Amino acid sequence: MSDPRDDVISVGALAAEGTHSAGDPPAGIRRVPSGVDGLTTEHLIINMGPQHPSTHGVLRLLIEVDGEEVLAAETSLGYLHRGIEKLAESRKYHQLGTLMDRGDYVSGMHGEQAAALATEKLLEVTVPDKARYIRTLVAELTRLASHLVWYGTFGLDTGAMGQFLYAVRDREVLLDILEEISGQRMMFNYIRPGGVVADLPVGIEKKILDFLTDFDVHLEEHHALLGGNEIFQMRVKGIGTISREMALAFALSGANLRATGVGFDVRRDRPYDAYPDLDFDVPVGSTGDAWDRYMVRMEEMRQSVRMVRQCIEGMPEGDFTAKVPKVIRPAEGEVYASVESSRGETGVHLVSDGSPEPYRYHYRGPSLFACQVLEEILPGHLLADVVMMIGSLDIMLGEADR
Amino acid sequence: MAIDRFTGEHSVAFIRSEQLFDYARSKSLWYMAFGIACCAIEGLMHASGPRFDFDRMGVFFRASPRQADVMIVAGTVNKKMAETVKLLYDQMPEPKWVVAMGACASTGGPFREYPNVVLGVDQVVPVDVYIPGCPPRPESVQYGFICLQDKITKRTEERLAARRDRS
Amino acid sequence: MLPDATAVSHILTAAGVSNAVVATETLGVVCRLEAASVLRALEALRDGELDFRVLLDFLGADTGEEIEVTYHLRSLTRDEELFIKATVAYDGELRSVWNIYASALMPERETAELLGLSLVGHPNPKRLLTTDGVEPLLRKSVPIRTVEEVRNR
Repeated sequence: MSDPRDDVISVGALAAEGTHSAGDPPAGIRRVPSGVDGLTTEHLIINMGPQHPSTHGVLRLLIEVDGEEVLAAETSLGYLHRGIEKLAESRKYHQLGTLMDRGDYVSGMHGEQAAALATEKLLEVTVPDKARYIRTLVAELTRLASHLVWYGTFGLDTGAMGQFLYAVRDREVLLDILEEISGQRMMFNYIRPGGVVADLPVGIEKKILDFLTDFDVHLEEHHALLGGNEIFQMRVKGIGTISREMALAFALSGANLRATGVGFDVRRDRPYDAYPDLDFDVPVGSTGDAWDRYMVRMEEMRQSVRMVRQCIEGMPEGDFTAKVPKVIRPAEGEVYASVESSRGETGVHLVSDGSPEPYRYHYRGPSLFACQVLEEILPGHLLADVVMMIGSLDIMLGEADR
Repeated sequence: MAIDRFTGEHSVAFIRSEQLFDYARSKSLWYMAFGIACCAIEGLMHASGPRFDFDRMGVFFRASPRQADVMIVAGTVNKKMAETVKLLYDQMPEPKWVVAMGACASTGGPFREYPNVVLGVDQVVPVDVYIPGCPPRPESVQYGFICLQDKITKRTEERLAARRDRS
Repeated sequence: MLPDATAVSHILTAAGVSNAVVATETLGVVCRLEAASVLRALEALRDGELDFRVLLDFLGADTGEEIEVTYHLRSLTRDEELFIKATVAYDGELRSVWNIYASALMPERETAELLGLSLVGHPNPKRLLTTDGVEPLLRKSVPIRTVEEVRNR
């Protein structure tokens, strides 16, 4: 992997290449008037979702089609709006992780980590080395589990079934490991302000290493099974191309941004927890189409495996949590902390007024921004490619609606 | 298995057609692939995965409500979603059952205090089985389906018993 | 990480934005403006030499007297972040910045409906998350359900 920072610096120079100029309204709003003019057929508005097996939750799209071609699309959210931000204002700081787990529910650890990092910034507490490593370890394991969900369902969107079963097989082992560490399969509630809630169980290192030995082989099998399939390649290559300019205008993050060639990764550029000590690469794509996003995510899984190995090797001795009061009353102030979750930059904007509850708690979900870019990239594609673009962006409605 | 209860030693079964249909229904509970939130990962994805493999119970997902027998409400239902849930329930053919999976679908769960959240899906559609947990493990969902099968096979017997009592 | 506060205020003065207060707080470098000059300031910051090309996030908060909106800008070329804050009165007008930063489209709709503002200059100013008739839920004056309400459902 070449150093992507060079690319970042040249973003301004490449601006002219993009198709999105900031003055244009997004394509979802540039509605083509429907009707018959003697030559064209009547446009049809298709309502896709909220119950649709391929919208990855309760996304609703209004798609205007002319025959098979999508002319305009509008995203409708809110079918999973359950007030994480409002409820956080009545929760103690320790309890924020419970809500964040259910925000981005496939990669719960990252949400907890963001909430914990924001609280620690306000508290100015130093996290012990061991806690930093444990957090990084579980965060990377969660990233693997989350990317496996994306991998399995992305294949389902293209019509394949087998890879889903293989992905779930690996994910079951991962969830067993995470369950042994945290006590739950999905809603871990493990990372707390100041550290983690419990030490690693005895003998978990061997289990993780055994899993990784298998997974190294399985990952290449996964890649060969889906990415090596010519039909899959033909279906995803050149689909849903996002230019750099558009990615920056719509504030994409994570693999969606890196697939366009902008190598920004919170783990490297805003280092937190044990990431400064680890050696890893940030994969970047070049064209920003669905195939690039697929390749970037697959490479991210390989990097996650590397990081998990390094975390286990370098696991220091010591406490698993700092001394944090039972009821946290941080000083007045406002902080922003972000982590690189499986879907992009998950940020927490926290305002404290000195009471045991946050005054304002804002959760930046990267999927909200990915939902916005859908309106822009869908027009011009065929209706059959719509689900593939949704799948390639890896949208999680829990954090888009919050 | 259970059909032996009817046949016994003989190869000819004398049962009411309703009972036979209910027996068949209980063994092919096709659920609608309709995941709202977190529970969908456990209750729909891992359940149909290789370890828990609900297919062997005849529990299989269908994408359309017209082909489904069971609706698993897997997640928080808010006021915007409630209309859709009702619409989907109305589209399912009779006989149909609803499984409220997890704390949110049963009572509102961790989000019960938010005014936009419906306090349990039973305020929108009738629920047959409630599965506790946040989220319930796939084993719990499996047990929920076993309870639903019991409920289905017993309902004719109960109806007949009630008729006997009346006469 | 932190941009030069004097460079920020220099750009803003050159763009004709008066009364801008740039200060370093716990959040980072925060620039407080009048709501009327937000558009001009954002345009100058995006096209200026600091190159704040990404609007990473947009949020509103109910301070008890008015609504405070925050624009979180990021410059990838210089690796810097800047927060722009402005205040809007209750039920006031929130002027959309979507034609400067397209990423503001949905966060603005969300903020407007959850904090009870009217969105001006937005191409699609519908409600995003809730249905019609739901009160602005993120306001401090709107309470969450009590234990009794939940129990007597």
